[in-house]
Amino acid sequence: MAYKKILVPLAGSAVDPDVVRLAVSIGKPAKARLYGVHVIEVRWNLPLDAVLDAELDHGEELLASAARIAAQSGGELETELLQAREAAAAIVDIARERQCDLVLMGMPYRRRLGRTYVSRTVEEVYLGAHCAVLAYRQEASQ
Amino acid sequence: MSEERDRRSALDLLERHVEHGKRPGDRYVRIVRPREFRRRGPGYVVAGEEVLAPEGRVGRVGDAMRRFLFGARIPSEHEIHERVGIIKGLAVFASDNISSSAYATEEIMRVLVLAGVGALTLTMPITLVIVAVLAIVVASYQQTLRAYPNGGGSYIVASDNLGPFAGLVAAGALMTDYVLTVSVSIAAGDEALTSIFPELYPYRVALGVAFVFLLMIGNLRGIRESATIFALPTYAYLVAILGMLAFGLFRMVTGTLPAYQAPPAWRAAHGVEALGILLVLRAFASGSVALSGVEAVSNGIPAFKPPEWKNARVVLILMGTSFGVVFLGMGVLAGRLGIVPDPTEEHTVVSILTATLVGDGTPYHYFVQISTALILVLAANTAFADFPRLSSILARDGFMPHQFAYRGDRLAFSTGIIVLSLLAAGLIVGFGGSVTALIPLYTIGVFVAFTLSQSGMVRHWWKLKTLERGWWWRATFNGLGAVATAVVAVVVGVAKFALGAWMVLVLIPIMIAVMWGIGSHYRRVRDAMTLERPDPTLPKISPRVVVPVNRLDRSALRALAFARAIASDVLAVHVSETLEEGQRMRQRWERWAGPVPLAIVESPYRVLVQPLLAYLDALDEQEPGRTTVVVLPEFVPHHFWESFLHNQAALRLKFRLFFRRNTVVCDVPFHLDEAFGEASESAS
Repeated sequence: MAYKKILVPLAGSAVDPDVVRLAVSIGKPAKARLYGVHVIEVRWNLPLDAVLDAELDHGEELLASAARIAAQSGGELETELLQAREAAAAIVDIARERQCDLVLMGMPYRRRLGRTYVSRTVEEVYLGAHCAVLAYRQEASQ
Repeated sequence: MSEERDRRSALDLLERHVEHGKRPGDRYVRIVRPREFRRRGPGYVVAGEEVLAPEGRVGRVGDAMRRFLFGARIPSEHEIHERVGIIKGLAVFASDNISSSAYATEEIMRVLVLAGVGALTLTMPITLVIVAVLAIVVASYQQTLRAYPNGGGSYIVASDNLGPFAGLVAAGALMTDYVLTVSVSIAAGDEALTSIFPELYPYRVALGVAFVFLLMIGNLRGIRESATIFALPTYAYLVAILGMLAFGLFRMVTGTLPAYQAPPAWRAAHGVEALGILLVLRAFASGSVALSGVEAVSNGIPAFKPPEWKNARVVLILMGTSFGVVFLGMGVLAGRLGIVPDPTEEHTVVSILTATLVGDGTPYHYFVQISTALILVLAANTAFADFPRLSSILARDGFMPHQFAYRGDRLAFSTGIIVLSLLAAGLIVGFGGSVTALIPLYTIGVFVAFTLSQSGMVRHWWKLKTLERGWWWRATFNGLGAVATAVVAVVVGVAKFALGAWMVLVLIPIMIAVMWGIGSHYRRVRDAMTLERPDPTLPKISPRVVVPVNRLDRSALRALAFARAIASDVLAVHVSETLEEGQRMRQRWERWAGPVPLAIVESPYRVLVQPLLAYLDALDEQEPGRTTVVVLPEFVPHHFWESFLHNQAALRLKFRLFFRRNTVVCDVPFHLDEAFGEASESAS
């Protein structure tokens, strides 16, 4: 299966570099366009378009770092910064708008109540996206 | 709140678009920011490399060539990655000193042999004295590096402790010497090359100039990359020469040294002067060229990886040791074999020594000669590393034009590198690429700088006597260095004065005067421009706006609209050549019935600029001191070559207005393609 447009949501976790490299290697055969997206989640007591300086700086920083990693791996990552109430809904919408055929999600290895924890965002994108969703979970040792 | 948000978004160059999601009620905000800028904080953006992307085919080709020659651009924040460690640092900063070992012995012998072949027995004692001076200088500079961990070149140490004038003397002397280092090293490299390829001898000047420009390109690629390129030849030379010396010394110890017989013509060519003290001093002075590289290490501390000053110290010790071993070994073997220098300068002493020990034309002979030629050429790299750095420090302090402090695409001080290349190439051409002709000019500067630096260090320790334990022995050490180098400076000056050193002694004061003059100018400008305490309320200006109008067309209307936007007092001025033309303009203006009054200035001598300037002067006399804003309607053609067909008068006017007091010039551009668009719209 050759993917032409791959969306890589980036949350700023330790798994991001691995996901970006994986996206580059998956996309390379079909020369896929790679989109990196970071969603700033805005609390309900603030307007949706509030200026959140710290979050904005963090988002810019992690997107720039992801673009650098993609370039080092031989790919090009187009980046986008969004603000939404819930990251998952925005990711699903942006994947549809960009007509992506794959959403590649990264999951840091975490355990809760004796089970491997899957975040709500991953779960909702998995359930809501129109296209294929691939979840990459970090190795347990990391 | 929303206004504040918009203002901040505008400052950050961000746009926020609210988008609707698939599900009812789902909304998200897309933050759109230009690719060319990265946000660093509120109201603070960083321009990316994209802003430098060339436009047009010619620009792209030029950019590709630039990348090929000089490499990709390096951002300032990567400066730390561009530094060098001990291995590369030795190659960059010590290549000058180490390479001197290839010709220092020969230069001593060339002077001594003037008194006959028998005088060559003095080669070894002179060599020992020079090595002793080098040891003193290296030991003294160890103190300097410790005291000035952020860069302790002679200029900095002398200015800091002896005043700015002493600093400028050191700087002028050093800069002269750096230019000479490049010329002498490359001429010596040429000579080594022509020793093995004599057919290249007639082209030695052209070869020298080509080498200078190759080094220039290498250095414009940045210090780390130039160090990578030039490290191999430095270490190849050390391996080759130390191998040759070890082999020679082994044969000497085992009593198997081959016999050497100088051609009778060479012996006959020498022995024209009496062996006097002046000749010995001249020989010492010629051999002292070897000490020229020490300064570069102390000035170049910021180019080292952390801990900078400690790495610099290690490099300085390695440099002194390598040089000392090679210089002493050469002196011993040349003396034992009884080598006589070639009067035609076609064969170097190193070449004769290697040929005698390992055989003429053997692969090892070629290895030694080629690596010697390369290190001699690359020794110039030390000057390329330090001259631009020193000139950037001088520019920072306001003693050189500010362009010298500018770092190019690869974080190299490009202006300094280019200026050094041009000056050195000029010297090679001027002196026909001869080492012997250039050597007398060399070395004085560096010893003047050493003396000032070491004297400055004595003063430095004296100032710290209550804070620094052991200050007295440090001061004594630096004092010893100052005395030793001062003696050498005087000896070199006296011995080489008539041979051409006078040129340097004249040039250095001229350079000091020029730098002092530049410094005074920058100080005056700074004093005139500096605000003691910025006034938070800006001064109020109510300008008079004048719009020179040639024709009432779209570009003139746009300029008039802009003029009306910045002031209410707007006046259009038309300069006409004849009465009829003026009347026609007046009629058109009245038909237009715009809100701006028109003044017509008739110029019967058909000149545009001067009558307009005189008219502005007359307006000024009515209200002296009032600011005049001249708004120039100017249209921009499609192609750059079309601009030669237009706006020549506007260009002249702009140039004249630039120097006019109380005058602000505004260009209101009107792009020709815009005009075509508007014309076709109105036609449809």
